[in-house]
Amino acid sequence: MNEVPKVLVGMSGGVDSSVAAALLVEAGYDVTGAYMKNWTLDVPGMQCPWAEDLAYAKRTAVKLGIDLRVYDFQDAYKHDVVDYLVREYEAGRTPNPDIMCNQDVKFGLFLETALAEGFDYIATGHYASCSAVLTNSGQVDAAVASDTSSSSCKASSLREVRGSEEDSATCRSAVRPAGSCASLPHAFEKIASQSEEEGVQTVASPSSATLGYDNSFTDSSTTCDSPQLLRAVDAHKDQTYFLYRMGQAALARTLFPLGEFTKQQVREMAEARGLPAANKPDSQGICFIGEAPIQDFLRMYVQPNPGKIIDVDTHEVVGAHDGALFFTLGQRKGLGVGGGQPYYVVGKDMAANEVYVSHNPQAAALQTTELQLENCTWLAGEAPQEGSYLVRTRHTGPLVEAHFTPQATAQASLAFTQPQERVAPGQSAVLYSGDICLGGGIVS
Amino acid sequence: MHMDFEREIYLDHAAATPLDARVREAMEPFLIERFFNPSAPYAPAWETRHTFEAARADLAHAIGAKPAEVIITAGATESVNLAFGVLQAAQTHVITTTIEHSAVMACAKAYPHTLVPVNHHGLVDPADVRAAITPDTRLVSIGLANNEIGTVQPLRAISEVVNNVRQERLLAGNTTPLYLHSDASQCAGQLDVNVSTLGVDMLTLNAAKIYGPKQVGLLWVARGVQLMPLVLGGGQERGLRSGTENVAGAVGFAKALQIVVEGRKDEAARLIQLRKSLQRQLTEAFPDAVVSGHKKHCLPGLLHISFPGLDAERLVYLLESEGVYVATGAACAANKATRSHVLEAIGLPPEVADGSLRLTLGRLSTEENTARAAEIITRVVRDEYARINPSRPLSDSGVE
Repeated sequence: MNEVPKVLVGMSGGVDSSVAAALLVEAGYDVTGAYMKNWTLDVPGMQCPWAEDLAYAKRTAVKLGIDLRVYDFQDAYKHDVVDYLVREYEAGRTPNPDIMCNQDVKFGLFLETALAEGFDYIATGHYASCSAVLTNSGQVDAAVASDTSSSSCKASSLREVRGSEEDSATCRSAVRPAGSCASLPHAFEKIASQSEEEGVQTVASPSSATLGYDNSFTDSSTTCDSPQLLRAVDAHKDQTYFLYRMGQAALARTLFPLGEFTKQQVREMAEARGLPAANKPDSQGICFIGEAPIQDFLRMYVQPNPGKIIDVDTHEVVGAHDGALFFTLGQRKGLGVGGGQPYYVVGKDMAANEVYVSHNPQAAALQTTELQLENCTWLAGEAPQEGSYLVRTRHTGPLVEAHFTPQATAQASLAFTQPQERVAPGQSAVLYSGDICLGGGIVS
Repeated sequence: MHMDFEREIYLDHAAATPLDARVREAMEPFLIERFFNPSAPYAPAWETRHTFEAARADLAHAIGAKPAEVIITAGATESVNLAFGVLQAAQTHVITTTIEHSAVMACAKAYPHTLVPVNHHGLVDPADVRAAITPDTRLVSIGLANNEIGTVQPLRAISEVVNNVRQERLLAGNTTPLYLHSDASQCAGQLDVNVSTLGVDMLTLNAAKIYGPKQVGLLWVARGVQLMPLVLGGGQERGLRSGTENVAGAVGFAKALQIVVEGRKDEAARLIQLRKSLQRQLTEAFPDAVVSGHKKHCLPGLLHISFPGLDAERLVYLLESEGVYVATGAACAANKATRSHVLEAIGLPPEVADGSLRLTLGRLSTEENTARAAEIITRVVRDEYARINPSRPLSDSGVE
């Protein structure tokens, strides 16, 4: 640990990571910015605006008076994310590239690079929080995944109980490191408080209490253990669904400065600081292909393979498609079967290259009460105990109750209390206990 | 965002220039009441055709050429693309340099090509051009002045090389044509661009760099040069680039070219003085700074200066916040966040190249604002050196 903790903050040029970097600087960290150059497809008429993003990131770094390093992760990104994506679609599944990008690039290669270069933490502008569980406080059992700890976590949000150490058994930490929050050196506190005296702008927001270092977390009698990933305060922006595969080791080394804020507040903070990205629109879609629909991207890699679209209710051929892999369960648009009632994709046969559709959005094939998961990963290191949990099957999707049964070889099953929209194979199901994101697996 | 000419200082005339008020005045009728399509049959339209052709004649006159030899295009990039049409043949080859603008570079790379190297001042040796010419070579394309470091090439000597090869080919019974094209986009306001003096077969010029409108350019083509149509359609511009004529653009271009050619000598002399004083102030403050480009054969208003160890992009943003607008090498290269091929070609080490600013003076430059710019740049560069290396103060003369 450096005397003043060194943080490498991922800066995409967008408003979120710009504000995240600004908050870290204001909190007194030794901050360096990092622009990750991931794989982009440079073909005419379809360009990811990475050069512009980099210019935004650099402008912001200059504004904050910090260095910006540019990391070229194109090879890893191509291998871990893009190739995976194409492979999965070819196998008839519907993968989520953002989850893989987080697992392999941002909280994999980027973290490794940061640690190798002498940084203590990485930080990102994700809407999520880390909690530190203070094991010596005697108030909380570090064994997570129980409703008790989740509720104590919520009650201890620093917004509500700043400085109330007794209650702060589990604390959301915005710019406070989760894994080693108790070990901040005294010298650093001094620097932080000095900079405040010198009139360095402190955060003007309802949550200012969560920023900077306060004494309640520098008491050497407490130590930290098993950081937890918590849902963001802004339920509409919460990104824990994308982060469930980041791994506990990464979590202990990661700061999420934005978890306590709403998007609206983040925009206002950007504005108040005159950050270049204050009015930059949020990026949409998958990062490496910009705004282009995933099907357009896939068509550049996969040969067209004409086949039939069949109505499962009438067994009639109602149209033709150029490759079953371009279609996903529940899809309504882009079937090219015009007129009348809409059709929904209710299934496909990759071997026969057939896509099955139905007019009935309540079709049995679109509903399920069970999901089988594989390739599960858990932020606590091991699977939660069998029991009832909240489950989310898409980003900011509803949290629904399900009975979870862990199985061998990183598999698990979920039984929903109420029938749910079926989830396409390749998508992720993520488990929550209250605010705590426990991990999840990939629908098989 | 408007520019406040009192406070802000524009040092990027090589990227874009403000429209001259006289040019705007000349253009305006053709944007408003004289909007007619020059191909239409009635009298007012016919009149705009005459105006358009008069503008072509004025453009030709300004470069010592004949009106029929001037093709009006939508800018220098299009002119270059049109010029490269001479390469469309089974056996073909083009020669250009390692420091060309990306318009020429990208066109050349579409054909079998040879890139002739330059020395560390950015100068091409005509003997190297001679050595690169093969029996299939149809085009030599060399920019008159480099857009990044300002070096002016010995075009006349290269023209002699090309002429000699043409003679040799004829004697040997080889009928493959060989042409010399030059992109002089950066030059019209500062150098002689008379086509006879230059000895070229094709010349590209651009209105946007000479206080004229954007998206207007010309390709001058000597008689006998066979081009290929670039844009198909209604057959305008001899069928080489169809599309309704840009009358306002051509009129504005003609006016702008006439103005800069008339005032060229005085303006060049003025810019040389300004550049010298800017260079003196910066190199006195930073003795380690590196000035690139040829000392004598150089665009009058261009200063390319590198601050070793600094990141030029950061300097651009810092200067921007002080109201000083500068470039890091060519605008296109800066956007792509790649190191400039020009600086690589002249052998500038990466840690020097990365700290490079291109400062281009022009009509908006005065003695007062150039001196002020020098002060601001000095302060920003000094602060940035201090930021990246707080322990080591700058060498003696760098500190007041």
